[in-house]
Amino acid sequence: MSVDTLTVPGETRAPTREDARGCRIAVASERGFTVGRNELLLLSALGQGINYPHSCRVGTCGRCKTRLVSGRISPLVDFALSPLTNRDLKDGYILACQAKVRSDLEIEVGLLDHRVTLPRSIVGEISGWRILPGGVIDLRLALEEPLVFEAGQYAALAVSGSFVRRSFSFYDAAPGSDGTREVGFLVKHLPGGRFSGWLGRQDRRGVRIWLEGPFGQMGLDDTPRHALCVAGGTGIAPILSIAEDRLRRFPAEGITIVFGVRTRADLFALDRLERLSGLAPGRVRVVPLLSHEPAGSGWDGARGLVTAALDRDLGIDLPEASAFVCGALPMVEAVETRLAALGMPRGRIHADKFEPSGL
Amino acid sequence: MLDYAKYLLSPVLLATSAYGLWLGGPHAWLGFGILIGILLFDAFLEPDHSVRDTRFPWLYDGIVSVQLIMGFAMILFYAWLVGQGHFETTASKIGGFVTMMFTQFVIVAPVLHEMFHRENLFHRWLGRIGMVMIFDPWREITHVVTHHIHTVTPDDPDYARRGENLYRHLAKTFAGQIAESYHLERRMWTKRERAWWDPRNAWVWRVGILAGFVGLLWLIGGGSGALAGVGVCLLGPRILLEIFNYTQHYGLVTATPGRFEPRHTWNHLTPFVRLLALEITNHTGHHEDSYKPFYELVPDRTGPKQPQFLICLLLAFVPPLWFMMIREKLHHWDRHYATPQEREIAEAENIRAGWGDLNERPSLAQARFAVAP
Repeated sequence: MSVDTLTVPGETRAPTREDARGCRIAVASERGFTVGRNELLLLSALGQGINYPHSCRVGTCGRCKTRLVSGRISPLVDFALSPLTNRDLKDGYILACQAKVRSDLEIEVGLLDHRVTLPRSIVGEISGWRILPGGVIDLRLALEEPLVFEAGQYAALAVSGSFVRRSFSFYDAAPGSDGTREVGFLVKHLPGGRFSGWLGRQDRRGVRIWLEGPFGQMGLDDTPRHALCVAGGTGIAPILSIAEDRLRRFPAEGITIVFGVRTRADLFALDRLERLSGLAPGRVRVVPLLSHEPAGSGWDGARGLVTAALDRDLGIDLPEASAFVCGALPMVEAVETRLAALGMPRGRIHADKFEPSGL
Repeated sequence: MLDYAKYLLSPVLLATSAYGLWLGGPHAWLGFGILIGILLFDAFLEPDHSVRDTRFPWLYDGIVSVQLIMGFAMILFYAWLVGQGHFETTASKIGGFVTMMFTQFVIVAPVLHEMFHRENLFHRWLGRIGMVMIFDPWREITHVVTHHIHTVTPDDPDYARRGENLYRHLAKTFAGQIAESYHLERRMWTKRERAWWDPRNAWVWRVGILAGFVGLLWLIGGGSGALAGVGVCLLGPRILLEIFNYTQHYGLVTATPGRFEPRHTWNHLTPFVRLLALEITNHTGHHEDSYKPFYELVPDRTGPKQPQFLICLLLAFVPPLWFMMIREKLHHWDRHYATPQEREIAEAENIRAGWGDLNERPSLAQARFAVAP
C-alpha cells in the first residue's frame, strides 16, 4: 500500500510525552504502527502519514469506525453519543478520533491506498441558484481560488458572517489536479432549516460564501467493477460525481443507478442522469423508484423504497460489484443490510449517511 | 520543590477559612478577607508564563485530592455550625456565608472540574462525586460534550455572544444546560435501549448522590444547616461558575466548529489566579487537551488575554463597565487573531450586538449581515 504524508491545516498532532511508552497497534491484514500511550488513535496515525479513514475528526461522522479486537482505549466522550449503533457498541466498535490509546491494540480497519487531498478554506459567491422539482436547489459557487476534490467528496458551506455551517456533496465530476473555480451542490429546501430555509427563500446569487473542504472518502474505490449506485433524494449528488468518474476511468465497466424519491413530481436531476448516459451509451442504467406515488397515476416505473429494487433480478453480479450508497441514515443502513444479505462483501459497500444537522 | 509547595496555598486557605468560621463572630469573614486580599494583590502582578515542574506528579495529585476532600468537609462543617446556631450576629452569618461562597467557588470548584476530566478512575470519581458541591452532578456531560466540542458557537450554552450581559447569560445558560443534559442523556439511554429510570443511566445515580449530599447536610446541620449549605452551593460555586464561563469565551467566534484553536479562549495568567483556580484560567491549554492535568498546562504567551480575573468578575456584574472593557479587547481580537472568515462572523456579531462601530467597513458588514442566515 502507498502512504502519503498527511498534515491537516489547523490540526495539531496529539502531544507525545517524552516518557510515554509506545503502544503497538496491530491492524488486521495491514502493517501496524506505534502510538504513544494516551495519544488519540486517529490523530497519531494521521500524524505518522498513515492514511486512516476519517472525515470530521470530532466524533460526528463515524468514518473512522474501527473494531477493537483487543487492548484498552479511553473514549473522549461516551460512544453512545456518536453515530455508532448499539449493535456496533456491542460488537466492539470504536471511533478512532475519540479513542485515547491505553495499551497495545489489535484493531480491524481498512487503511486506504489513496492519495488524500487536504481540506482548505476558500471564499466565493453563489453564481447559480435554481429550484428543481421536489424543492431541491441546484446551487453553484464561483470560488476565488481553484479547488481540487475527488468524486464523492463533500464540503462544508457557511454564508459570510454566519455561524451556520452545513455539509453538502459535490455533484460535478472530479476536476483533476488543476482544480476548479466552480462547484455545484444539491440542497433540499427544508422550510425552517437555518441554512436550507434561508437558501430556499429567494434567489441568493451574489451572496458571499465560505467553503471548507474537500472531506469524505466515499468514492475511493479503485477497482474496475460494475458499480451499483443507490441514492435517496439529494444523495444523488455524490452518485453523479462518482458515476462520471468511474465511467471515465473504467471504460469496460457499467453502472446501475437506483434513485429513490417520493413522487414523480419530485424527480429531479434527470437531465444530469441523461447526460451521464450520453457519456457512455449502453453502460449506464437508471432505475427511478417512487415511494409515495399515488396508485393509478400513470407511473409505470418501479415503486417502493430503494431496497425494493435490490434483488437478484437487478441483473448485477452483486458479490462481484462495488456499491456506493448515499442518502438518509435509515435508508443507507437498510441498503447496506440488504446488499450484505445478497452476498455483497461489506468492505465493498461505500456509504455516505446524511444525518440531521438540527435547525 | 517550590512549584509543588505553591499549590499548598489553597488547602492552607481552606483551613484558615474553617478556623475563622470556628472562631465565629467577625472572624467568620477571615477566609473571604484573605482570599479577596490575595486576589487584589494579584491584580497588580505581571502575568506568569512559567511552566511547572512535572517530575513528581503524585505530589500535585495528592495536594488537590486532599483539597477536594477538605472542600467537602468544609461544607459539612459549615452546615453543622449553622445547625448549632454558631453564627449569632447577622454580620457573622453573612460573613460565614460569603466566605463559604467564595472559597467554594475559587478554591473547590476548580478541583472538581480538574478531577472529572481525569482518566484515572479514582480522581475521576472524586470529581464526579464532588460535583454535588456545585449542586449540579449532571454538569460533566454537558461540559465535556457540548462545551468542549461546540466552544465559541451559539450551540454551546456556556458561551456568551457579543452584547449579552451577565444577567441574560445566566438565564440563558441555565435553561440551555438543562435542555442539553436532558437531550444528551436521553440519546445515550435510547441508544443503549434503556428506560429512563434504569439504574445504569448516569443521571439516575447522579440524582442519588445529590439527594445523599442534601441528606447528609440535613443530618449534620438540621434544616437550617442544610438550607445554608445548599444556598452556598447554589449562590457560590454554581452561579459564580457561570460568571467564570461568561468571561472565558465572551464574544469570540470560530469558523472551525468542533476544532478548537488557541485563539478561541481568553486567558488570565496572573500568578495567584493560576494557583488558586488550579490553572483553569490557563484556558487555552485546557481546551487544547482537556485530559491534560493542570500541572502540564503551558501558558499561552501570545494568546488573547483579559484583565486580571477578579477585575473581570466584578466588571461582569456591571454590564456598561464590562462592555467598555470587552469591546476594546474584541476589537483587538478581530484584527489580530481572527481568520478572514472569523472576522466576517465577528462583524456580523458586532452588528447584532449593536456594536457596528467596531467594524472597519461598517456598510459592507451591514450588507453581509442583512443576508446571513
